Amino acid sequence: MHDFGFDGRGAGAQRRDWLRLGGALVLAAALPAHALQPPTGPVVLTVGGRVRMPNEGGNAQFDMTMLEALPQTSFTTRTPWYTQARRFTGPLLRDVLSAAGAQGTLIRLTALNDYRVDMPFDDAQRHDVIVARLLDDKPMAVRDKGPLFVIYPFDSRPELRGAVYYSRSAWQLRKIDVL
Amino acid sequence: MATAEDRRALGGPPRGWLRFSWLGLVGFVLVLVLLAVALVQARQFALLRHAVQVGDDYVVPMVFQAEIEQLRLRDQWQRAADERLPLDADALRLRYEIWISRVELLDGGNARRLIDGQDGHLPTLQQLRDFIAAADRALGPTPTAPLDRDFVRALLPQLEALTAPMHELSLGAAHKVSEQLMQRGITVREQNQLGLGLTLFLSVLTLAFAYIALRQVRQLRERRLVLEELATKLRLARREAEAASDAKSAFLANMSHEIRTPFHGLMGMLSLLRETGLTPRQVDYLRTATESADHLLALLNDILDMSQLESGRVALTQAPVDLRGLLRDVEALMRPQANAKPLALHIDADPAVPDRILADATRLKQIIFNLLSNAIKFTDRGAVVLDVRTREGLGGEPELVFAVSDTGIGMDEATQAQLFNRFVQGDSTRSRRHGGTGLGLEISRNLARLMRGDITVRSKPGEGSCFTFHLPLQVPPPAAAPLAAAKAAAPASRPLQVLVAEDHPVNRQYMAALLENLGHGAHFTTNGEEAVEALRRRRFDVVLMDLHMPVLDGVGATRAIRALPDAERSTVPIVALTADAFAETRDRCLVAGMNDFLTKPVNLERLAASLRRLFGTEAPAAEAAVAMALQAMSREKLAAMVEAFLEQAPETVQRLRAAVRDAQPLALRTNAHAAKGAALNLGLAGLAATAEALHEGAAHLPAHEVARLVQRYEDLVPATRAALQSLGVLRPQLQTQSQPAVTG
Repeated sequence: MHDFGFDGRGAGAQRRDWLRLGGALVLAAALPAHALQPPTGPVVLTVGGRVRMPNEGGNAQFDMTMLEALPQTSFTTRTPWYTQARRFTGPLLRDVLSAAGAQGTLIRLTALNDYRVDMPFDDAQRHDVIVARLLDDKPMAVRDKGPLFVIYPFDSRPELRGAVYYSRSAWQLRKIDVL
Repeated sequence: MATAEDRRALGGPPRGWLRFSWLGLVGFVLVLVLLAVALVQARQFALLRHAVQVGDDYVVPMVFQAEIEQLRLRDQWQRAADERLPLDADALRLRYEIWISRVELLDGGNARRLIDGQDGHLPTLQQLRDFIAAADRALGPTPTAPLDRDFVRALLPQLEALTAPMHELSLGAAHKVSEQLMQRGITVREQNQLGLGLTLFLSVLTLAFAYIALRQVRQLRERRLVLEELATKLRLARREAEAASDAKSAFLANMSHEIRTPFHGLMGMLSLLRETGLTPRQVDYLRTATESADHLLALLNDILDMSQLESGRVALTQAPVDLRGLLRDVEALMRPQANAKPLALHIDADPAVPDRILADATRLKQIIFNLLSNAIKFTDRGAVVLDVRTREGLGGEPELVFAVSDTGIGMDEATQAQLFNRFVQGDSTRSRRHGGTGLGLEISRNLARLMRGDITVRSKPGEGSCFTFHLPLQVPPPAAAPLAAAKAAAPASRPLQVLVAEDHPVNRQYMAALLENLGHGAHFTTNGEEAVEALRRRRFDVVLMDLHMPVLDGVGATRAIRALPDAERSTVPIVALTADAFAETRDRCLVAGMNDFLTKPVNLERLAASLRRLFGTEAPAAEAAVAMALQAMSREKLAAMVEAFLEQAPETVQRLRAAVRDAQPLALRTNAHAAKGAALNLGLAGLAATAEALHEGAAHLPAHEVARLVQRYEDLVPATRAALQSLGVLRPQLQTQSQPAVTG
């Protein structure tokens, strides 16, 4: 414990101690409880832009194991891409973003075919948007619009059933840029 | 009266029905149109919802994307087939996979619906499937052939051949969606037009509705105006009717007292005639004439009573009444009538009935007289019984009940129902025999109701009748001891000089006879002006003033007299004489400064009583009263008490004067009441009577009259002392203490 009594050192030395302690506290507050580990398998998702917890250059990279490690959400919904309602499973987009320490107003989703779409950062907070990695509990191949599929819970709210939200549901997701 | 026009304005049934049916129809159509608008809106909503759910709009970019991927794959494939470039298997595989993911969408889901129906789409889809099956041999999840340049080059033409059909597909979908959009636009426009039309129609209907409602409001207002006019007419008619009725009542009252004026002269002359030494035959004629006159007077009194009751001009004067004394009076009057037939008359008062009650004695007597004389009139043999008792009324308050039962002819129910109606008598044939105005019962019932009581009847034909008169029982406060009733006419203590102002010669003669009888000197004038002139010339002890006189009426003459410069002459007591007995008249007289009020016909007793009131001929100490006081206590004690009372008298007078000066009628009443009670107990009749007069008159007598009464009280104190000394109660003053008591 720090001693507040007189310890024989000068006032300047004491001030330096305080500064050191304050700096350490600020750093500790800024760092998440668990720092993002570097990916061990093939990278399936890169979160770039304004991320505070990069693990590779300026980006936060995820392999499938890392996405699996996040809390998973499942729901069944109808979509324009399938005739039947399908079951999607994966981490919430907001969890993925916070795992990367992302902070912004807009995110830009990029697919394998360079399809790009912008989504308000707020969408991930307001809706339970997931980064689906399982379709009917099975991993998705690229031809099945995998491996990652951003999907809104369309059936939970009627206002989500519109072209804007359909277009924001990027499949074959490759990269997220936080703006 | 409702004319045909009024009836129309008030709205007959067919017209009202028509109006309401129109309103109903418009309302019904309004509801229908609103429903239609709602339906159109619901359909639009469903249309939009369907479009969104199906997501057709989204299919166009989807197909477009597929075409782009097709071109990208073709590029990648061409690069892979190029001998000069290295074969990038991974890039080709990724591109291939992405392409598959895109074209798969064309083969299923919503895209299929758009593509279906396009010419040649089925061969195109088959071409796609064939190419995928071929390419999957090296690029699929489970490759069976090596991915090398030969493989790539072999499939390149097949891939390139897909470009044109894919483009066709893309265009076709775009056109289809455009068509759909247009169709939807048309539908929306049509529905909008329909909605617009409905809205217009709605506006027209609303205007119609407003118009009808407005018209109805206007009609209602018109109707109200007509009703108001009608009400005004009715009000006016009622006022006219009331005015006419009032005029009749006034005429009746006027006539009855106009008739009474000469009539009482006639009666007076008849009574004087009796004293002139007549033959028995003449006496008999005279008796018959007097009876007829009595009957006629009773009729006139009834009519006057009735008209006064009708105009609400009867006011009851509540005073302590000796009920048993009153019953004795009634019996004395009724017994001769009963004795004329073989008829027993019993008057029976329950011991629980209080001796003294608070009531208007005159009116009470009038009701009992009426009931008893009716009973005697309609009963030929048997008995008439007046039973007086108390009971608890409906509200729990005590009631006094007078039940008059007889053994007479009785009545059926129809007769009973009409009994209290004007001019109805039990039996018209009998009534001729029995006489009467037919007003008696109506007057009695009205009076009873004025006393907050009522009269009811129970009867059966042949079994007699029972009339029950009840009124709330009111008992005077115990301190107010009864006054000794005025005794019969006694001669005046001294002869008075009386000035009579009277325009009617017969009445003048009658008054002259009365005054002569009482031993007073009479002087006559024929109008108010002459009376004032006479007073200017000489003094009189009292003025008897008729109210209705030519030149100057009684009230005007009184004002003139009160304004005379000579103090003695301006304060002369004035007594009003009038045939009308209205309370207003009485008040007017007292306000003008008169001292008393006599209703014509004036009889000897009432004239004497009035003069006695004014000139104090009441003995200062009634012998009988003193004797009664001596029964209650020793002479010595009475003497001491009288002495104390008389010693206090100056103080009492001072208090009374102060009350008069400060215009405190309540203080005056209280003091006069205390003095009266004490004087009465000691048998000091003169002081008691004066105090009583003060007590009674404190609130309404004019100030000069009250002051005169106080003066009289003061003057009576030495007279009373002298009287008691002469009666032997008081010793000559110096010896009072030393004399031994003597019991009598």
